[in-house]
Amino acid sequence: MMTRFSFNWIGIACVLAVASLPAWPFSDSYIVAAVIRTLIFIALGQAWNVIAGIGGQLSLGHGVFFGLGAYATAILFNLWGVPPWIGVWAGMLAAALVAVAIGGITFRLRGVYFALATVVISLAFEKLARFFVDLTGGDAGFALQFLGDSWWGLQSREPTPFLWPALALVVGYYMLTRWLLRSRFGLELQAVRDDEDAATAAGVAVFRTKLMGLLLSAVMTALVGTLHVQFYLTIDPGNAFGLFQAVQIQLPSLIGGLGTAIGPVLGGAVMIIANEATNWASSRFDVPGLDVLAYGGLLLFIVIRAPEGLSGPLSAMLRRRPR
Amino acid sequence: MNLAQALLSGLLIGGVYGLFSIGFSLAFGVMRIVNFAHGGVVMLGMYVGLYAFDASGIDLLVSIPAALIAGGLLGATLYVTFYARFVGKATLQQLLLAIALGLIIQVLAQMAFGPNAQSIRSAWGSQYLIIGTMFASYAQIAAFGVAVVATLAVEALLHGTRWGHAVRAVADDAEAAGIVGLDAQRINLGAFSLSCALAALAGSVLVTYYPVSPPVGFGLMPIALIATVIGGLGSVKGAFFGGLICGVVEQVASTAWTPALQDVPLYALLLIFLAVRPFGLFGRPSAH
Repeated sequence: MMTRFSFNWIGIACVLAVASLPAWPFSDSYIVAAVIRTLIFIALGQAWNVIAGIGGQLSLGHGVFFGLGAYATAILFNLWGVPPWIGVWAGMLAAALVAVAIGGITFRLRGVYFALATVVISLAFEKLARFFVDLTGGDAGFALQFLGDSWWGLQSREPTPFLWPALALVVGYYMLTRWLLRSRFGLELQAVRDDEDAATAAGVAVFRTKLMGLLLSAVMTALVGTLHVQFYLTIDPGNAFGLFQAVQIQLPSLIGGLGTAIGPVLGGAVMIIANEATNWASSRFDVPGLDVLAYGGLLLFIVIRAPEGLSGPLSAMLRRRPR
Repeated sequence: MNLAQALLSGLLIGGVYGLFSIGFSLAFGVMRIVNFAHGGVVMLGMYVGLYAFDASGIDLLVSIPAALIAGGLLGATLYVTFYARFVGKATLQQLLLAIALGLIIQVLAQMAFGPNAQSIRSAWGSQYLIIGTMFASYAQIAAFGVAVVATLAVEALLHGTRWGHAVRAVADDAEAAGIVGLDAQRINLGAFSLSCALAALAGSVLVTYYPVSPPVGFGLMPIALIATVIGGLGSVKGAFFGGLICGVVEQVASTAWTPALQDVPLYALLLIFLAVRPFGLFGRPSAH
C-alpha cells in the first residue's frame, strides 16, 4: 500500500497534522511552542538555502538579515509604537538594502570574497548592536513591550496563534523553493552555482542573478526575524548576529540536503530533536559548550560523510519503490 | 601625543597580526584552503606559550620551539585528516568544514583550559621602554621582533630554497608541478604544517602580553581575513603588511574613537578594498 504514497501526500498529511496540533489530546502549550520553534528554525534554513543551496554562494552572515528583521520591528514598535504589521516591511527593506550593498561589492568577484565579506558584515552589526545601547538595549538585548493578547501588536499570551503563521511561512517557502528549482530564474541560479564560465557562455547575467538570489534570500530571512521577535518577545546581539547563529541557520539545509526544497524541512525537524537532546544533556551533565560541540561534530560529519544530506538517500529510496 | 602612542602600539601588535596572517595566506595561496580554524590554532599556541612559561619560567626560549612543533604537528594532522580532500577548491563544503573545526577546537579548549582569561606574569613582560612621551612593553617589542624575523625567514624559505620553489610551483599550477615530478600532496602537507606552525608561533608570542581565553581564536580570525585580503590573497609579504595596517587602524580607532568599536573601521576597510582593489596591495589582478 505504501507504494501509492508520494512525497506530496506525506507532505499534506504532515501539514494537516501540524495545523490541527492544538486539538490533539496529548498536546499542550509546551509542545505547541516547541513545534513553533521548529517551524521558525526551518523557515530560516529555507531562506538561507535559496542563496547558498540553489545559488551556491556561501553566506556566513545571514544573521544580519535575520537580526535586521527582528530589531527593525522591535525598535519601531517600542520607540514609536509602529505596529509589526508595518515594522516587518521596514525590516525587509533594511535587509534588502544591506543585501544589495554586500552583493554589489562582492558578486563581481569570484570565490571566497562573498563569504569573507559576510563574516565581516555580521561582526560589524554585532559590535554596533552592542554599542548603541539606547537603540538596541546593548548586550542584554531588547525586550518587546508586552501588550498581552493583541492583534494590533501581533502578540499573544499563548503560543498557539503563532502556529499557523509559522506553518504558512514554511509551506510558502517550500512552494517558493519548488518553484525556484523549476523556474528560469532558479535554473539560472543553479547554472551559476555549478559553473560560472558555462553560465556566462550560455547568456546568464551572472552578477545580476547572484544579486537577485541574495536579495530574495535576505528578504525571506528578515520576515522570519520579525516572526521570531514577536514570538520570543526578545532579541539580543549574539542571538541575532553571532557566529553560532550563522552556523545554526546553515544546519537544516545541510542535514536535510543542500539546494533541495524538502532538505531544510527534514533537516530542521532533525535539528530540533538534536537541540532538545543537547539541552537535556547540558543540564544533566553540566558541561558548558556541549551543544556547540554537537553542532560542530554534526557539521563535520555531514561535510565529510554525507554531503548530500538526508534527502539524497531518502529520495533514492522512494524512487526505487515499484509503482 | 596619544596618536603617536596609538601608532606605535598598533605597529607592534600589527606585527603579530601579520605573523599569523602569513600562515592563513600561505594555506590559501598554495592550496586554496580558507582555514577558518586558523584563529583556533593561534589560540592553542597561546596556551602552549602559557604552559611553557608555567613549566619552565623562561618564556620565549622554550615557548617558541614548543609552539612551532605543536602547531606543525596539529597542522599536519588537520591536513591529512580533513583538508587534503579539498585542496585546490575553496568550496562551500571546505569553508563549512573549517568553521566546524574552529568551533570544535574552541569547545575542546574550553573543556581543557576553562573558560576564564589567563595571562603570563613574567618579570620583564611588565617592564616598559619609554621613548619620549611614548612607551612600549618589552614583551610587545620582543613579539614584534619575533614576527619580523619569522616573516623574513618564511620569505627566504619560499624564495631561496628548493623546497620554497617547489611550494610556489605547486601554488601556481599543481598539475604542471606534478608533471615535472613534484609530489604535490607532500609539498602541501609541508606548507599546511608551516601555516599552522606560524599561527601557533604568533600565539606563543602574543600571550606574553595579551590574555588568552578560548574565544580569542575566533576573535582574531577577522583580522587574518582582512589582513590577507588587503595584502592580496595568497601573498606572504602582503599579509604581513596587511597585519601592520590592521594593527595601526585598530589602535588609532580605539584611541580616537572608542575601544568598543575599534574593529569597525577595519571591516569598512575590507569592504573598500573588495570594491576598489580586490587583489590587494601585493596581489596580481588576475589572481581572483
